[in-house]
Amino acid sequence: MTIEIKKNQKETIIEIIGRLDTITAPALDKTINEDLGDTQNLILDVKGMEYISSAGLRVLLGAQKKMQKSGSMKVINVREEVMEVFEMTGFADILVIE
Amino acid sequence: MRLIVPIVLNCFLVFAVYILDKYTPAKKLPYMAKQTIIGLLFGGVSAFASSYGVEWLGTTVNVRDAAPLSAGLIFGAPAGIISGLIGGLYRWFSVYWGGGMYTRLACSIATILAGLMAAGLRKLMFDNKKPTWSYGVCIAVVCEVIHMILIFLTNMDNSSQAFEFVKGATGPMMLGNSVAVGVSIILISLFSHEYFFRKKTSEGIAHTFQRRLLSCIVIAYLITSTFTLILQNGMAQIETQEVFTVAINDVEATVREKSNRQLLEIAEQVKQEYEEDPTVSLSGLAEKYGIKEINVVAPDGIITNSTEADVINSYDMNSKAQSKEFVDVLEVQDSFVQEYSPRGKDESVWRKYAAVNLTDAGFIQVGYDAEQFHQMLNEFVIDVTKSRHVGTNGFVAVLDEQLCMVIDDAYAGKHISSIGIIPPEEMAQGRTATALYHADVVDGISNLSAEYMYVFKFVEGYCLIAAMPVAEAMFMRDASMLTSIFMQVIIFATLFVFIYLLIKRVIINNLKKINDTLAQITEGDLSVTVNVRSNVEFASLSDDINSTVATLKRYIAEAAARIDKELEYAKQIQLSALPTNFPDNENYGIYAQMIAAKEVGGDFYDFYKLSDTTVAFLAADVSGKGIPAAMFMMTAKTIIKDLAESGMAVNDIFTKANEKLCENNESGMFVTAWMGILDLTTGNVQFANAGHNPPLLKRADGTFEYLKTRAGFVLAGMEGICYRAGEIVLHPGDRLFLYTDGVPEATNTENVLYGEDRLLTFMNQNASMQATQLLPALKCNIDEFVGEAPQFDDITMLMLDYQPKKGGERMTNKVFPAKTEALTDVLGFVEQMLESLECPIKIQTALCVAIEEVFVNVAHYAYPEGEGDMALCIGYDEDCRRITFRMSDKGVAFNPLEKPDPDITLSAEEREIGGLGIFIAKQTMDSLSYAYENGENILTMMKNL
Repeated sequence: MTIEIKKNQKETIIEIIGRLDTITAPALDKTINEDLGDTQNLILDVKGMEYISSAGLRVLLGAQKKMQKSGSMKVINVREEVMEVFEMTGFADILVIE
Repeated sequence: MRLIVPIVLNCFLVFAVYILDKYTPAKKLPYMAKQTIIGLLFGGVSAFASSYGVEWLGTTVNVRDAAPLSAGLIFGAPAGIISGLIGGLYRWFSVYWGGGMYTRLACSIATILAGLMAAGLRKLMFDNKKPTWSYGVCIAVVCEVIHMILIFLTNMDNSSQAFEFVKGATGPMMLGNSVAVGVSIILISLFSHEYFFRKKTSEGIAHTFQRRLLSCIVIAYLITSTFTLILQNGMAQIETQEVFTVAINDVEATVREKSNRQLLEIAEQVKQEYEEDPTVSLSGLAEKYGIKEINVVAPDGIITNSTEADVINSYDMNSKAQSKEFVDVLEVQDSFVQEYSPRGKDESVWRKYAAVNLTDAGFIQVGYDAEQFHQMLNEFVIDVTKSRHVGTNGFVAVLDEQLCMVIDDAYAGKHISSIGIIPPEEMAQGRTATALYHADVVDGISNLSAEYMYVFKFVEGYCLIAAMPVAEAMFMRDASMLTSIFMQVIIFATLFVFIYLLIKRVIINNLKKINDTLAQITEGDLSVTVNVRSNVEFASLSDDINSTVATLKRYIAEAAARIDKELEYAKQIQLSALPTNFPDNENYGIYAQMIAAKEVGGDFYDFYKLSDTTVAFLAADVSGKGIPAAMFMMTAKTIIKDLAESGMAVNDIFTKANEKLCENNESGMFVTAWMGILDLTTGNVQFANAGHNPPLLKRADGTFEYLKTRAGFVLAGMEGICYRAGEIVLHPGDRLFLYTDGVPEATNTENVLYGEDRLLTFMNQNASMQATQLLPALKCNIDEFVGEAPQFDDITMLMLDYQPKKGGERMTNKVFPAKTEALTDVLGFVEQMLESLECPIKIQTALCVAIEEVFVNVAHYAYPEGEGDMALCIGYDEDCRRITFRMSDKGVAFNPLEKPDPDITLSAEEREIGGLGIFIAKQTMDSLSYAYENGENILTMMKNL
């Protein structure tokens, strides 16, 4: 998995490419906790994310909870198979997916 | 004493023959041969006894009859008849070597009769069994009575000799013969430990009746005999008296006639001379004729002339009764002779008078004085008494007035007491005897004395005595008494036998018939009927019994019909308990059949899926048949299924099931079973055998072979048994055939078993047949073999086909370390597999997520204190397009499926981290199952593509 961060003043776009699984999830978690600064809007572009497991979901949930306090977060370009997992787990209702 | 020898010989022979017949090879001889030999032996004893007797009155007192009686009564009818014939014939011919002649016929017949009697009585009265000793003695006595009667009958011309013989011989012969027979029977009874007094409790009607009847007959006999004795005694007294009276009256009449005639003649002559010359000297006439007195009496009774001067014209004949008689009588008749009596004029003087009427008037009377009278008579009297006898040995004696004998032999003038007759009072007083007197009369010549009976009568101045020996007087009495007593014995004995036989025929035989039939009915044969119709009572009894049996039969039939119906229901219930939803659309097939021998059997088969990847299957046989077996079968089936579904290993299922079945197994039933649990993903079969027939295993490329492994003990047989599990791995195309012992133990009419070899051959010949055809074909083959013989045992067959259809299942195995780091490898392995199956990417992702969740779970929690592995087995069934994941680890037992699902409807704020992994897996897969087996957590997940 690779993570690319694009910062635009108070908006941060994190592009996730590859698999967000138990092994890679800690890396994303670290990025979200450390590199966001005072970002108001977090956009997760998951166009390249082909896989997500519960560890990834846990990171996304943590991010969602964090951003809800100070700003907003949305997930964009969700692939079908990932969307399946979101729907299955109720994350489709929690996350703002565009 | 001489008689003891043949008696002892008889007893000894009886004993010896009994022992030989009972304890030596001789008992195997045919019946008639045995009887003939016994007959000959006892015939010999009879002949010996015949000559070994006591001489008595020219013939022999012996115990010849005992042998045929013993042989006939104790050993059998033919033996009795044979020995009787031998004894009888021997007696007949024994006269040529010194046997008595005059009892020849009687003795011969009696001995033959003894044999016949023994034979007949044994057959008719004693049911061809040995009688008790008392009956033996009675029969011997009766037999001897017949013997004696025969001696009488054959010697009627010399009855006194026969009587003498019988009188002497009866006692010893009866005693000897009855002792011989009685002791023989007692000996055998003692030896064979019988009670010779029969036990009262076990006595039959026949015996009770026999005994009572015998008592009655004996009492009747005694009464009759006593009566006869009294009667005969009285008769004999009267008869004897009559004989005496006749004898004395005869003598008296003769004497009287003689004396009267003589005196009358003298009177006529005196009259003649007197009428010729009325002046003739009467004294001269008296002297001339030897008389004492002549009186000429006028019609008015006055004596006109007389030899005695003092009475002339002075004595009136009418003055005294004695003389008046003449006056009275001669008025109506011409002459009269008066009895010797006291003279009217002087009663101290005895005279005898006769008188005849004179031609003109009056009569002339002449008279003897005593001396003249007796002188004239003595001679005559002697002649009279000499020619007279009373009976055979009796005599008539005449005594003068001094009671001295008037006879011309040695006794002449001797007083009667000299021969032993002491004059009784009556005789001394000159009166005629009014009773019979007894005296011991001594024979003056031989000096022997014998008891005589006598009577006496005074006639014309004489005392006439008639005497007879008592023995002779009583001979007729004794003879007729003996005869009648003997006849009575025979009559009563015959009566006894006939009454007994009649009762036996009318009642006892019928009772026995009814009892026999009832015994048959009791043994269960309700088809027999009682049919004794000889009289109304038995006919009604027969009808009652028959109708009772008919009612019973009807009830039984109704009950049987009801039971049949209930059994039919039971069968349906039982059959419905056996699964029939035979799987054949998966990667294995099961087909089974159970054919019960009776309406309900104890066999069963069962199969059920324990999880998506495991199937349990078993065949079992409950001992016994019918409802109890069926009920036990249901219990066993339920218990095993319950245990199997709780996820136990197969050997534990049996161990536990055994314990449960052992509880309260009062009826002692047991179950043999073979159970396997097939892992569909691996083909691995874990099995356990509880005393069951080995199944047949056919490898895909091989033939059927018996899978013989060490079997455990039967279920429910004993508590505390631990069963061991066996293991085989099936490969696609392998078949496993389970059956119960009804198959190899099917038996044909010649008692030949179908057998394991025949089963193996048939299965191999038809190895390629579909199970649904193969099982019925096998049943047909068994039926053909068995033929007409009824099906003895339930037949149960179950075929398991491990046959992934069309290409079968692919399977891949890999073991990974249970570490998060290995996740990439795990997912790689899974993805590789899924890609090769051309699995849509969406499903691939979902499956990978699920696998990851489970694996991560294992990696995090399974091995808290170290490292371990996780095995992943992926199977794929092409036909069903089904993929199976089996993940197993040896870590801490943990069932992830028990964890509650997270609430996915909560908002992000409320949602908790965790619990999602398994939830995702559950959502993704079509089914999940968890088992903890042999220390392994096994999570199986299945997904239909």
